[in-house]
Amino acid sequence: MLLPPTDSKIVARRAEIVAALKEIVPDGVVADRSGLATFDSDALSAYHQMPLVCVLPSNREQVSAILNYAQAQGVPIVPRGAGTSLSGGALPREDGILIGMGRMKRIIEIDYENGCVVVEPGVTNLNITKAVEANGFYYAPDPSSQVACTIGGNVAENSGGLHCLKYGLTTNNLLGVTLVLPGGEIVTLGGKCGAQGGLDLLGLVTGSEGLLGVVVEVVVKILRKAPVTRTLLASFDSVPAAGACVAAVIADGVVPAAMEFMDRRAAGAIEAYNQPGYPADAEAILIIDADGVEADVAHAVSRVTDIVAQCGGKTVEATDEKQRARIWSGRKAAFAAMGRLAPDMLCMDGTIPRGALPYVLEEMAKLSQQYGLGFCNVFHAGDGNLHPLIVFDTMKPGEFERAEAFGADILRLCVKVGGVLTGEHGVGIEKRDLMTDMFSAEDLAQQGRVKCAFDTQGLFNPGKVFPTLSACIEQGHIHVHGAQLPHPHLPRF
Amino acid sequence: MSKADSLSQVIDFVRAARADKAAFEIVAGGTRRGVGRPLNDLPPLDVSGLSGILKYEPEELILTAAPATPLTEINAVLAEKNQRLGFDPADWSKLLKSNGVATLAGAASCDASGSGKLRHGGARDSLLGFQAVNGLGESFRGGSKVVKNVTGFDLPKLVCGAYGTLSVLTEMTFRVYPRPQHAAILCLADVTPEDGFAALRKIAHSALEPAGLAYLPAGMMAGVGQGAALIKLEGARQPLEEKIVLAHGLLGNAVRRVEDDPFPAIGSGEKFSDLAGDVWRVMIAPSDAPHVAKELNAQYWLGDWAGGVIWLAAAPAEAARIRRLAADVNGQAMLLRASPESRTLHGLYAPQPPALAALNRAVKAAFDPLSLFNPGRL
Repeated sequence: MLLPPTDSKIVARRAEIVAALKEIVPDGVVADRSGLATFDSDALSAYHQMPLVCVLPSNREQVSAILNYAQAQGVPIVPRGAGTSLSGGALPREDGILIGMGRMKRIIEIDYENGCVVVEPGVTNLNITKAVEANGFYYAPDPSSQVACTIGGNVAENSGGLHCLKYGLTTNNLLGVTLVLPGGEIVTLGGKCGAQGGLDLLGLVTGSEGLLGVVVEVVVKILRKAPVTRTLLASFDSVPAAGACVAAVIADGVVPAAMEFMDRRAAGAIEAYNQPGYPADAEAILIIDADGVEADVAHAVSRVTDIVAQCGGKTVEATDEKQRARIWSGRKAAFAAMGRLAPDMLCMDGTIPRGALPYVLEEMAKLSQQYGLGFCNVFHAGDGNLHPLIVFDTMKPGEFERAEAFGADILRLCVKVGGVLTGEHGVGIEKRDLMTDMFSAEDLAQQGRVKCAFDTQGLFNPGKVFPTLSACIEQGHIHVHGAQLPHPHLPRF
Repeated sequence: MSKADSLSQVIDFVRAARADKAAFEIVAGGTRRGVGRPLNDLPPLDVSGLSGILKYEPEELILTAAPATPLTEINAVLAEKNQRLGFDPADWSKLLKSNGVATLAGAASCDASGSGKLRHGGARDSLLGFQAVNGLGESFRGGSKVVKNVTGFDLPKLVCGAYGTLSVLTEMTFRVYPRPQHAAILCLADVTPEDGFAALRKIAHSALEPAGLAYLPAGMMAGVGQGAALIKLEGARQPLEEKIVLAHGLLGNAVRRVEDDPFPAIGSGEKFSDLAGDVWRVMIAPSDAPHVAKELNAQYWLGDWAGGVIWLAAAPAEAARIRRLAADVNGQAMLLRASPESRTLHGLYAPQPPALAALNRAVKAAFDPLSLFNPGRL
């Protein structure tokens, strides 16, 4: 994966840029090599790049001044939350300012009357729930990285998690954001009234992967914790049987709070890692949460148990809160546990129609043979969001490239069956070059023009999401012929 | 009237309009033409022929339809499989005295949701993907046909509530939801707005997943003393009974179960159909509802979405005062029904702050650089 070429003229002005940023944020500029090394990657750790400089603003005025300076000087900006992106969304640039939002971590207001919390972007996902749980509330989206990931990063990536099947992604749980635009202007999109008085720019900005601006304040909805939650562990002696069971549960009209799948290899690695008590002999297991009022949950549990049996599986239910927590602790530690299988791994993130699960699971097994690389499956089955984990060893020549090619083929398979490249991790740099597999040239040109509406100079997170440089100069006049991308002469990076 | 019944006809029409720099109005069922700034007799493009369900997969909870498909047709087909649209699309035709047929795209484009918006959000929370023709005369797609997708910009959010100002829709894919088997309406009668809205917020922030939470003052409902807090709960028989017991636990035994479901007439604005004056929807933080209702001082009003929206009828001269009151609480006052003169003068929403207004214009231009589609309506 290539990034756009570095602008050596900007790199040559480094000292001057560092000095200017120190004027704006006297105590928050990281410019020494060892300090910058902390920021040279996100959770897509195969890629590293030292930023030109990193700046850590403490308030929106500083963010505005930084963006104003960057635009005036033509310097690229890469926004960063906690750096937990799995798609390289926060990968720095040698000629770009990395703007780290971690210092802005105040919880500004907890408003139980309106069921919302107003926070700065650097507050971690889990800390929102922690701030309200004593009163019986929580913030619903729960990405596995929720201990570390920030709400600003969640907005940028439209993060999901284990419970989106019932409660939606970040975008369905936001009431408003305050955004600093390229150039430094500050706009407020939405708010406690839940209306914007114009286009739904809040919806557009959510999941825009740092391409449109920097979020400096977020209003999130909080929900009342369900009075009853029950957890089932279903085991199957074949992977397709588990896949068919997932499709059957959805088709039945049951909406579990979560429905997670893992295959034998994943379950074995997790069992060895933190002993959650997964059955050793199953080829595939499902963890299913049902929540709500007691009778609703009882209804869902009985339906799911019947369907599992019809699909040839066996169900056990967690008997108490402790066992529930143990079952989930295994799933949440899945990525860490996979470290036992091989030195390196790539986590893919396609979504497919749920009915295609059995077919796609079999095709992935074939691809694994073809590439000679192992993989395992841990994923959010209820919404068809796959997370195949490809295991490999970077030290073996060619394996990383092979793993990337295997991953790309899995995502193409997802698109082929009517699905998408990414369900929750974002495109970033990781899936950028696959965008043309899912979108036509016209589709991408349209998105490119939307980008230009915010960022006329193309300074925000360049090299991410879109496979070609977009030309903002002739907005509205980008001509596309056949399947050709606009500006075919421009290098693909 | 020009007509376009297929994607290729829409493309041809837009390309011709682009060559002539001739703006037009997009019309399907025509029920919402009276909303937003009038288009001053721009020629209409009739897209009502873009109708019909294209693919319905009940087992995937996904429905793809042509944009001008009547809501009644979609609701009927979904009901056969015990499913429904998630955004409780509101048909405003009685309120707007229209004989037309309310369509899927009309409801989504106008962000028209009834009381059930509480449950699964608005159209923007259900629209997974679409195909449309932009102002360059190019067909493009946004989003996808699966329930969980973050690939590229979330353009489906933008087309919901855009009032047809960005593109001509040619196909829409929605997530649909299981339809609960039973519903119950609870009524807490003879309560003040303060107490009524407080009761509604209590239910809103419970785990009861309500499908309707409205307060109607005496003038809007007979036999409820000074006013009623109305609650709609849903579920299979046993869970529903449990929810009713829990609601009693939260609100006390004064809560009574009633037979008639008032929510369809609340969410569609039908309660205001025969009232004189302009009709407004003032969207606010729910806890502001009692205060805002009092300040609005309207003879005819009600609060829906647990207080998140106040509907009212008001004389045209009240427009500026209503907008000011909404702005004071960081709300949005939407002028839903008014004379063309009023709508020209006051617009659908209040003017936005300059930076936000400029951004809205830039995004519109990114889709429709010559401003061919419904110019100025939003």
